[in-house]
Amino acid sequence: MTDVPVGRSGPRAGLRLDPRAKLYLLLLANLLLFFHVDTRGEAIMVALFLLPLFAAGRWRNGLRLAVLYFALLGLGLWSDAVTLDGAGGGSGGSLISMMDGGANVGDGTAAAWATVGHVAGLLSVGIRMMMPCLITGAYAFTTTSISEFVCAMRRMRVPEMIVIPCMVVIRFFPTIAHDYRQIRNAMALRGIAAGRFALVRHPVQSLEFIIVPLLMNATFVSRDLSVAALTKGLGIAGEHTCMTVIRMRWFDWATMAVCTAPMALAIGGVL
Amino acid sequence: MSEPSSTMSPRSGETSGTIPSRAASSPSAPIITISDTSFQYTHDDTGVGAANPTVADFASGNATSPADLALSHVNLVIRPGETVMLCGQSGCGKTTVTRLVNGLIPNFFHGPLTGTQFVCGLGGDGANGAENVPIESLVPLVGSVFQNPKTQYFNADTTSELAFPCENIGMPSADIRARVAEVARRFGIEHLLDRSVFTLSGGEKQRLAVAAATMLHPQVIVMDEPTSNLDATAMRDLHNMVAELKRDGVTVVIAEHRLAWCADLIDRYVRFDGGAVAGEYTAAEFGKLLAEQLEAWGLRAIDLAPYRAALQAKTGVAGIVPDGGEMAERTPVGHPLPAHDLNDGLPSEQGTSQPLAIAKTETSSDMPAASSVGPVIDSAGRHPSVASVLADPSEPQTECQSFVIGNVPIIATHDLTVGYRRAFRRDIADITLYGSEIVGLMGRNGAGKSTLVRTLCGLQRPLAGRILLHDAPARPTALTRAGFLVMQDVNYQLFADSVREELLLGLGDADDVIRQPVDVPIAPLNAAQSSSSGAASHGMSVRDGNTDVQPSATPYLHPATLGEQADRVLESLDLLPFAERHPMSLSGGQKQRLAIVSAIMCGKELIVLDEPTSGLDRAHMMQVGALLRGLADRGKAVLVVTHDEELAALWCDRIIDLDREVGA
Repeated sequence: MTDVPVGRSGPRAGLRLDPRAKLYLLLLANLLLFFHVDTRGEAIMVALFLLPLFAAGRWRNGLRLAVLYFALLGLGLWSDAVTLDGAGGGSGGSLISMMDGGANVGDGTAAAWATVGHVAGLLSVGIRMMMPCLITGAYAFTTTSISEFVCAMRRMRVPEMIVIPCMVVIRFFPTIAHDYRQIRNAMALRGIAAGRFALVRHPVQSLEFIIVPLLMNATFVSRDLSVAALTKGLGIAGEHTCMTVIRMRWFDWATMAVCTAPMALAIGGVL
Repeated sequence: MSEPSSTMSPRSGETSGTIPSRAASSPSAPIITISDTSFQYTHDDTGVGAANPTVADFASGNATSPADLALSHVNLVIRPGETVMLCGQSGCGKTTVTRLVNGLIPNFFHGPLTGTQFVCGLGGDGANGAENVPIESLVPLVGSVFQNPKTQYFNADTTSELAFPCENIGMPSADIRARVAEVARRFGIEHLLDRSVFTLSGGEKQRLAVAAATMLHPQVIVMDEPTSNLDATAMRDLHNMVAELKRDGVTVVIAEHRLAWCADLIDRYVRFDGGAVAGEYTAAEFGKLLAEQLEAWGLRAIDLAPYRAALQAKTGVAGIVPDGGEMAERTPVGHPLPAHDLNDGLPSEQGTSQPLAIAKTETSSDMPAASSVGPVIDSAGRHPSVASVLADPSEPQTECQSFVIGNVPIIATHDLTVGYRRAFRRDIADITLYGSEIVGLMGRNGAGKSTLVRTLCGLQRPLAGRILLHDAPARPTALTRAGFLVMQDVNYQLFADSVREELLLGLGDADDVIRQPVDVPIAPLNAAQSSSSGAASHGMSVRDGNTDVQPSATPYLHPATLGEQADRVLESLDLLPFAERHPMSLSGGQKQRLAIVSAIMCGKELIVLDEPTSGLDRAHMMQVGALLRGLADRGKAVLVVTHDEELAALWCDRIIDLDREVGA
């Protein structure tokens, strides 16, 4: 019933996973980063991670992330190629070979290309390795409503002392965005740190001007919220239920299994 | 009593099963009994005092004199099914009573509490801390609606918010869904379900708040100033919701300044004064009270008809103004016009001449803010309502000069369309704002008032059309320099560490000037400094011209430094004693004044106020009105965005009604 996503509400056609399955995907993505799986395994995993995003009907988002990932992948492969036949040694993206390339700039265009290749390789590999986390994170964030998320946490027996702060944090994001806009307006009217570059020129002062009213308002809002929540029984002991029903269905299990398999194989060195 | 309505009986069984519903035993037994109860907040004014920022005037006063009790020996009995209005001036204790009823006192707001309080059969001796009723046991019995629609939502989407109380008492999810659907149908808010709370208008938020408060089918609903941010339509919706609750036999307790919106539903009025019950009246008795009696008590009007008529008359003026014809003819004589216009419009309405008389006396007596506004610009003018330009033709204010001679409006719009690129678009009939004039901008929530105001202040670009500043097309940056917006939430607008620094902030290299001792009588004029700090120099030269006219009217007549000027402006708005205080430690009204003072210091010509009187009692509303008049008398163009019909009728010179313009 409640399908307002945490982020921006949008078209909600298509198939969506259970929040717990999403959390599992997020965990997998982090493991992927942790175990430094090789490029082939990573590409397969990314492709798998992108599928639920398309299944949920988030085409634009999915395409954007896919293009970004494969562009980075291509850049990385190119830099490998350039550095391999340019400097004649060193594995792609390694810092030492990049420094070598930097030292031998005078050797000619090949070496210059190698330098560019190294830098590009470094950047592309760095960002690319974050991509699985970004993709699963974007999926989890844009397709889960707060109530689903809270429900998932309660089902997983997460204590209320963790659930409630999470709810509050989610509740506060839009408030802070709104407050920030108001404060910037007020500063413009007063001629304080007006203009685009003022924030950059006087960072400390500007930060103070923004942070102090922001915190002041957060204090007021948090007290009002506590009052409202208390009168609605947030403090009641005993089990809290959820209106939203979440259920693990076959495709949740299937997705989890399908995504785990290549991961395990890659970590095991089979793939 | 445990079954407030028959329509909801299928579900109410479960809730009342978990609830001790002793009140059901005899129908005439009181549902709320508060006897000999006294209470005092222990928090300082930065804690509780700002809980309701708009009534914080009192709260800080309360904190500074700890002897004051929030409640002293209050006796109050409310029977099941009654609809009771708690009224009285800000800080009279009515909000405190609502907090006693919903258990926030003593569970959340702490302090010494004496006497006995029973709510729905729960309660005991307040003096004995151990026997306090935990707030959790009151949750299913008492629903609460608070003043600020923005901050009473714990969830980010509407359906979750409705479900929230049910989830907390552990209802099964199917039942919660059924209950949400039932309550939404009952109040006709199905269209609000499944939306982000942040996209709702203020009125929609408050309707949702009432619906959320009734989710557990409570026997009592308390509302703490539920209408302070609402327009007339939203108040009518709220009225209908209260009527619905009353029909179902729910006891409704409303603490409110605005009395008119639900006058037909109220069974009993309880008037508080200084923390004690000053009188109880049946609806009939209260209706017979004279308007001036209510005003003497500091209450808002119970019958808005005369105010509406006055508004009507003033809105008529707005229809003529855009072409400039009538205004051009009127304005040269114009300065006294505002006040006279006010008088002309009203006496024909019976009963309204009285409020005006009171307005006048209040202006001179208990409104130091306004009466001392005069001296800063022209020391001669002691009467803020009658402009002193005619009395002193050499009025040195430059805007006024040009205004009198050329009759050039400060701001004029042509074929303006405001809005956001995709979300919202609104054509605005041409508007002309002159100096020395208070213009009210009215219209329902979402009519585009704030978008228009933001456009006029240059905070966003118009989608089409032009804005003329002194008859010359102006870019948004120029408008931002000329205009100032006093936001509804003033907390966003105060940046400095002390009140005095707040004024000097943004005036360029004023840093060393701040530290200059203030009461040096005639410091050597550092002319370079005063002229370099552009915004203020204008005001300085004004004072120079004035010096020989009125040499001894104010002690700080000779302008030496920005610091002195700041102090003078502060004094004129009664803020000088607080010059060293941190802005955030001020009360709501003082913060509002400080924001206005900062606008004056910056030499702004157009001052826009967004809902300056929301949640204010009559006296404070009149104070704000007098303040507006003081600004106008300085030659500023004052634009007030407001839903407050009393403020608009009593203090605005003309009204721009965005709702009406749609047809025109």
